[in-house]
Amino acid sequence: MIFWEIAKRNIRLHMLRSTLAMLGIVIGVVAIASMGILGNSLVATVSESLSSVGDSVTVSPYSGGGGGFGSGGGGTSTSVNLKLSDQNFQEIKRAVAPNVAIPVVSTSERMKVGVGTDDIVATIYGVDPQYIPDLKLVLTAGGYNNGNSGCLVGFTFAKDHNIKVGSRISIGSDGEKGTLRVTGIIEERGMSFDLSTDNAIVATQDWFDNTYNRNDYDQIIVKVKEGQDTADVKTLIEKTLNKRDKIVSVMDSKATLASIYSTFSMVTTFVTAIGGISMVVAGVSIFNIMMMSVSERIKEIGIMRSIGTQKKEVMSMFIYEAAIIGLIGSIVGGVLSIVAGYLISALMLGSTKYLITMANALSVGEGICFGILVCLACGIYPAWQAANLNPIDALRHE
Amino acid sequence: MVLLREKEQKVTLTMNEQPVMVFKDVIKVYPLPSGDVTALDDISFQVERGEFISVMGPSGSGKSTLLNLMGCLDTPTSGDIYISGTRTGDMSDMDLTNLRRDRIGFIFQYFNLFPLLNIIENVTFPMMLKSQKTVDPEKGKEVLRSVQLDDSLFTHTPTEISGGQQQRVSIARALINDPDILLCDEPTGNLDSKTGAGIMDLMSELNRKGTTIIMVTHDSHIAEYSQRTIRIADGRIVQ
Repeated sequence: MIFWEIAKRNIRLHMLRSTLAMLGIVIGVVAIASMGILGNSLVATVSESLSSVGDSVTVSPYSGGGGGFGSGGGGTSTSVNLKLSDQNFQEIKRAVAPNVAIPVVSTSERMKVGVGTDDIVATIYGVDPQYIPDLKLVLTAGGYNNGNSGCLVGFTFAKDHNIKVGSRISIGSDGEKGTLRVTGIIEERGMSFDLSTDNAIVATQDWFDNTYNRNDYDQIIVKVKEGQDTADVKTLIEKTLNKRDKIVSVMDSKATLASIYSTFSMVTTFVTAIGGISMVVAGVSIFNIMMMSVSERIKEIGIMRSIGTQKKEVMSMFIYEAAIIGLIGSIVGGVLSIVAGYLISALMLGSTKYLITMANALSVGEGICFGILVCLACGIYPAWQAANLNPIDALRHE
Repeated sequence: MVLLREKEQKVTLTMNEQPVMVFKDVIKVYPLPSGDVTALDDISFQVERGEFISVMGPSGSGKSTLLNLMGCLDTPTSGDIYISGTRTGDMSDMDLTNLRRDRIGFIFQYFNLFPLLNIIENVTFPMMLKSQKTVDPEKGKEVLRSVQLDDSLFTHTPTEISGGQQQRVSIARALINDPDILLCDEPTGNLDSKTGAGIMDLMSELNRKGTTIIMVTHDSHIAEYSQRTIRIADGRIVQ
């Protein structure tokens, strides 16, 4: 069609001006799409860290309202040393069956790895070895500890302190709490709702009880079997233990995950909206250029109208011009946003493995569509104005 | 030209017999803040098929207003205009645009070719408007040859050819849809006398072949090419 051809030729005639307008759209699309890619990659990274623990319900002593729960039984207590009793554990175990309830004790302790090294402070968990498979602690080296003096160490902890299978760790300031021998190294788990093992030691519960003289628990982790809802398990526990007074806090990992995803989604939307500001600026630039194009071609429009060009045909000519700028700018922006997304992900998240995903493809697609729509929207008024010029006035225009 | 003395005369003739253009009691008033200005005051005339008419008058006499009304670019304040038997007063903007495209050919003083299109594209532009698709350039070439433009210039852009050649292209563009009337606004006003004479010879030739031409000019020598002259003064026909 001749008007498409005229639009193309006019863009070529004003190449610099058109290129600058396209550049604005390119920047806008890159800003929107790359922010979308960053947000999606962020969510994907967090999802990977957390999805493996999305089947947990964690029960801990209720600490709100100044009250507490003593180690002696089911009544309320004013003790600040909040613990769960064995009776609590048994009640939970019965309530959640056939799901597995795992009692966990923990403390923060000084320790030393090797001779002549500085003291380290790290978390020590005490877990009955029979529950280790339920906790899905995957080992990168060694095996599970069977004896009381053995322990598992987290991936980061082992890496930072050059710990290998067979290494010995002296517990306490001067090793007064004994020595643990490393039997295995736990695979990196990232963020976790149950045990944060990456920078910790997992010892046996017997060793922990003997060393610290404990007969209570810090938390109870319920691993919910496939096909059952964590929310139902949470309700069940609350109904069982919080009948009269609130004595335990129950955290449903799935609900928490959903809340985290929702927050990340809002953050992604927010940063994408910030990217959208550059698109608005680009839109203003397109509007300005289209208005210039119309004012430069008033006489041409007058000639066209006088020899029989319909208003809608004049309008289409300017819409085509805006569409070509938008299409080229948006596609170039889409391609560059993948590059930008790659660089941002690599620099900020340290990984680009989530770059090629459906969500990122959608972000790029949305950026391109938004770019084209902005161009069309900004071209409509100038095109309308051109189409509605009085042919006589337009013909007289110099 | 025949002035209409009987204002009630009805235009009911068949397509070939009826006048190409009829103006009946046409008044054009421009409302201005300082007061209404009557540009045309009760104008009536008709143009028969095959006539060559020139419209003359001093500046501000109403020539341009008359040309705009004849070209359906403007509408009268009162009175009726008929183009090939069709009353233009009730037509929508879209219909008037189609009328201009199909029945009227415009030739301007400053040629008014499209700088982004080459010669063939300029000439076939009205054809494309009519057919709504790509057209065979052969008809454009044929018309360009009929206005004595060399084949080697067909793919040039308007800025690459002379003023006289541009005006020939402009005439070819006006003729491409076989219009009923050619409306010319000072067609030689931007040309030297020799080139202008060549253009007028071409227009006389077109008229001899049956094309109806109405030409607005202030040049009495150019007006001599026409068969009749309408003289306007103060918005009225004086001769």
